[in-house]
Amino acid sequence: MRMSCIRLTLYVMTPLALSVPCQAQNVANVVKQGEAVFSKTCATGYCHGIRGGPSGAPRLAARGFDQAYISKVVTQGVPDTGMASFSSRLSPPDLVAVIAYVATLNGIANPDVSMDGAGDAVSSRPTLTGEAARGARLFSEAVRSFGRCSTCHEAGGFGIPVAAPLAKVPASTADLKALATPDVKTGSMGGESMPVLVLSQGKQSVVFYDLTSAPPVQRNAEPGAVKFTDGSKWRHSSVIGAYNDSELAAILDYLRAVIKP
Amino acid sequence: MRFFSAVSTTILFTVVTALAQDVGSTRADWPHYGGSPYSWRYSALDQINTSNVKSLTPAWMFQTGDYAENLQATPIVVDGVMYLITAQAHVFALDAATGREIWNYRYPPVPRSIPGFIGNRGVAVGDGKVFFGTKDDYMVALDQKTGHLLWKVNIDDARQCGCNVTAAPMVVKDKVIVGGTGGDGAHRGYITAFNTRTGRLAWRWYVIPGPGEKGHETWKGDSWRFGGGAPWMTGSYDPALNLLYWGTGNAAADFYDTERVAVGADKSKDVNLYTASVVALDPDTGKLRWHYQEVPDDVWDYDSSYEVVLIDREFRGRMRQALVHVNKSGLTSVLDRVTGEFLGAFSVPEVRTWIAGITEDGKLVGRNEPAMGKTISVCPSAAGAKSWNSTAYSPRTGFLYVPVNEMCNDITPNNHPADEGKNYMNGDFPFKLPAGRSTFSHVDAWDPVTGKRAWSMPYKYVLLASMLATAGDLVFTGNPEGDFFALDARNGNKLWSYQTGAGHRGSAVSYSVNGRQYIATPTGWHSSVVGALAQSLFPDQDWRLGSTLVVFALPEGSR
Repeated sequence: MRMSCIRLTLYVMTPLALSVPCQAQNVANVVKQGEAVFSKTCATGYCHGIRGGPSGAPRLAARGFDQAYISKVVTQGVPDTGMASFSSRLSPPDLVAVIAYVATLNGIANPDVSMDGAGDAVSSRPTLTGEAARGARLFSEAVRSFGRCSTCHEAGGFGIPVAAPLAKVPASTADLKALATPDVKTGSMGGESMPVLVLSQGKQSVVFYDLTSAPPVQRNAEPGAVKFTDGSKWRHSSVIGAYNDSELAAILDYLRAVIKP
Repeated sequence: MRFFSAVSTTILFTVVTALAQDVGSTRADWPHYGGSPYSWRYSALDQINTSNVKSLTPAWMFQTGDYAENLQATPIVVDGVMYLITAQAHVFALDAATGREIWNYRYPPVPRSIPGFIGNRGVAVGDGKVFFGTKDDYMVALDQKTGHLLWKVNIDDARQCGCNVTAAPMVVKDKVIVGGTGGDGAHRGYITAFNTRTGRLAWRWYVIPGPGEKGHETWKGDSWRFGGGAPWMTGSYDPALNLLYWGTGNAAADFYDTERVAVGADKSKDVNLYTASVVALDPDTGKLRWHYQEVPDDVWDYDSSYEVVLIDREFRGRMRQALVHVNKSGLTSVLDRVTGEFLGAFSVPEVRTWIAGITEDGKLVGRNEPAMGKTISVCPSAAGAKSWNSTAYSPRTGFLYVPVNEMCNDITPNNHPADEGKNYMNGDFPFKLPAGRSTFSHVDAWDPVTGKRAWSMPYKYVLLASMLATAGDLVFTGNPEGDFFALDARNGNKLWSYQTGAGHRGSAVSYSVNGRQYIATPTGWHSSVVGALAQSLFPDQDWRLGSTLVVFALPEGSR
């Protein structure tokens, strides 16, 4: 209902008499939604107080903020403070709603509740369903600890980018298991041999990931202290062993949904 | 409330045992977060003492240049070199006699998409390396001599778990061990150990047992997945027993237990294990040896994550290897640290409404629990009768020195569903000051054997800096107005005070170089979380941020 109102006000040339009640109702709904988002996300006691009062973070009510400023702070955060950027932590409608709510705390009775109200940060994120949604959960499931894909890969805004960005999704679970990993070499340092992913070899230091066990360890060594040779006994199939075929298939569905070739 | 049966107080002001005095003390160095692995925050140095402390004067200062937040870190001193970390993980090695910089290492800025507060409570030094944790959840190892990066390893995806590292890590033998934050969000807390040489994972111990593990049955449904328990401070270690001690955080959701506790659960013991507990782990394997839960079904955000103080004392005629542990509620447990056996408890705040009392065997009585649709007033507040700032223990007096705050909060619970890594406190809890008082904190001296308060020095605002005790029978700490001061450890008389120019929210240490004793304190008020909450209760006050280390000594030639 709310979204249809937004579309109406944004895209449809409607007689003023019709659009105003719809807008007013829409603004009220969005602000109410924003209050709920604020209560759950911002008024957490250790951060902002309820209704924008003072608490572990600054008071937000009656500060004379305009909506552009609120939008900037919410979406980009504040440098050198605990105020994070929420552009990737809230959905676009929740971002718009919470910005509108904080605007009302600052005397703006009729805040902009269009998607433009959240500034540039609102981007369209794919809505995942079915197997892709299941794959998204499996990709970074906390209960798997370091045995999850996100220990080494970043996708959809989560994960640690140890491996190069995923550019091509294997066609099948069989392909995923048989994945060739020519970038993984064998490093020798201090009499110890280990599978490595080399990041850089400069004059001052050599930087590489030690893949002996999960999680990978980024190590820095003096040039000459470590030697690399092509090839390794390391296999991608051994680090994804905690997933069954059905789970791997769901993860591939997820990656197809979020990775643009 | 139970106190120990009266034991002669003649042990006061005497050496408890020669062994006990040695093991937990520091001397020239301050090698660990808690001074020694026993976490006494006690220096055996006595050059600065009750008779000459009035002459104490600044020897040098060091401005870190990182003024995003305050300087909370405990400086580590080894062989005349001080290792100091700032809120945004700028690490310095300094000549501890002069403040001259030997090297510095600046951790790259953490993206603003990473949630969490800015702050860092210290480095650990061992195996020729300087270790620290980061806001984006890495464990980092630097070369102790050069400050060069040796290795870094990711602990968790901070964007997903909503967790960070603010605590100092701890080196035990060949491992560096660290806890994390995140227990006020939908997160399952853990302690992680890495090999100091390679950075490879050694073990991880989850505070909340998984399916099939003992204790898992104390969780309702799937609530264990996001049940909190984050052990966000630093542990202690007994080398003789080879046991690692750690306090664990509150259960989540903090103020609403319907999703995690079965209807009709017996709340007299062991609910939502192992949250709000003291645990003993095998440091080689991370296996649990014993646990003692201080707050079964914690519905007040009363973490037990604070320091564990290991002391050997005589209880009821028998020498015990004990531990003393203050949690946020101010309820202080005394346990046998070999077995976890309950020896006694005492409560440090003067205003207490969360329970009516405790039984002889440590069970909570008269729980004042939040309920949906109601607002209840609870004292002490979720900021704690004590915050994370440490106590100190002097073997000369036998007292535990505790900074106690008298604040309350009005808790109104809600039932937002768990959303991984997002806030999961499930309650509004605005802070307030208890009525009828003109002072809202006090430095106390408690005898952990008798459970009696020997003396108390009231202060009108809050006390959020750690205590330091020394063999000069001095106790040092600072206040938010910027005063750094020394009390007589025997009676609480204020003997010296120095205005450092910014509020205190850090941890002072003592050390010596070439025979000269120093007292070093971080300065700078905490502008967020508990510091800001406390400040909001005193709107006429303007407690100043800063990030300066101030180091005191007796004037040259006066010794």
